Amino acid sequence: MSTLEQKPASSEGRKDPWSQLLQKVGKNQDRAAYHALFEHFAPQLKYYAMANGMASHAEELVQEVFVSIWRRSCLYDWRKAAASTWIFTIARNQRIDMLRKMQRTSAEMPVETEDLWQIPGDNEDEPVTSLHRLMSERRIRESLSHLPEEQITVIAKVYMENKSHQMVANELDIPLGTVKSRVRLALNKLKVILQDQNV
Amino acid sequence: MTRHHPDSLSLMEYSAGNLSEPHALCIRLHLDECPHCRSRVDTLDSLGAVMMEQQPKVTVSESMFDSILSMIDNEPAGAANAAPAPRLSPLQKLLGDDINKLPWKRQMGDVSVLDITDRFPGQSEQVVLQKLAAGGKAPAHTHRGEETTIVLQGAFADQKGVFNQWDFVVLDDKDEHKPVAVGCEDCITLSVLSAPVKLTGTFTRMLNPFIR
Ligand SMILES: [Zn+2]
Repeated sequence: MSTLEQKPASSEGRKDPWSQLLQKVGKNQDRAAYHALFEHFAPQLKYYAMANGMASHAEELVQEVFVSIWRRSCLYDWRKAAASTWIFTIARNQRIDMLRKMQRTSAEMPVETEDLWQIPGDNEDEPVTSLHRLMSERRIRESLSHLPEEQITVIAKVYMENKSHQMVANELDIPLGTVKSRVRLALNKLKVILQDQNV
Repeated sequence: MTRHHPDSLSLMEYSAGNLSEPHALCIRLHLDECPHCRSRVDTLDSLGAVMMEQQPKVTVSESMFDSILSMIDNEPAGAANAAPAPRLSPLQKLLGDDINKLPWKRQMGDVSVLDITDRFPGQSEQVVLQKLAAGGKAPAHTHRGEETTIVLQGAFADQKGVFNQWDFVVLDDKDEHKPVAVGCEDCITLSVLSAPVKLTGTFTRMLNPFIR
């Protein structure tokens, strides 16, 4: 963990407004805060559902994500993830869960979606690395604005359209190696690549 | 202490939710034991959130918030904000408490295998557990397609180094290796195979864990 900066809580700066609202939902079942989160995130989530091919279930996905946000909000810890990151992972898991349930019965699923895809802050007992986590969203937003369009296009297809690197290569009619190098360049800038091996 | 980590591209596919279930399981098992990679995935999850924020927005139907409210109001009492039940690890759910006591099939010499592909219905990949007896050697082989492996118990060594518990390794058709179990425990690995391996050298005609 030596790469992570550890600073006392006082220097963390302000929580972002969405994380504050989500915390209110968790602590007090605050419905006004819940509604404000809905106004902000529901249209993003609907786009996400439509982009990844769940058009006919888009609103169902948004609903399920929000019910899940309500249910899990007591587990939300703003020091472990910004609200938008936490909500993104819930949406990702809900999408996977819906697809899995359309394809098979629960008897055929010994492992649940959340056994495979983790929501940040769930069963984590490591020391809180809040500054790192909060900084990362700000840093990503800042770094993304400097990335070439071709790199952003590839990342958007991977995250929003849920296409594998291979599928992105096929669709853009470029070699897989080109897709991978665009992603690597972007991840380098975003400092995700810290100590990759064999790269 | 794990020293062999998944590469950033695989972690990105994991974060985006694009991996098959067996591949996601391999990554998740590693993440549960590797704070370094967990922190990389946190950053990637934030990348997903920022990407979503920067896309167009789509208006939702006016009645949706009210139907969500009635859904949460109709939840059984205590369901909202209930503490989650104690969790079994994904490995325990899949394989029970002692992976040494599974119905292993002795393949040859020091190698035993157990095919668990049927635990992942609807997947195109083959999922196998392999056990190399303590001190034992596996025959030299290469791989057709790609093989993702995570060490569940013990350790093995090949020409690329020593792979300890929760270490992660991806092999493809360019990698010929001849693993040896090191340490005093049997080495147990979980592998996801996109295509069967082929044998090389003098073991060509012998049964191999991967030959069907
Ligand atoms: Zn790692």
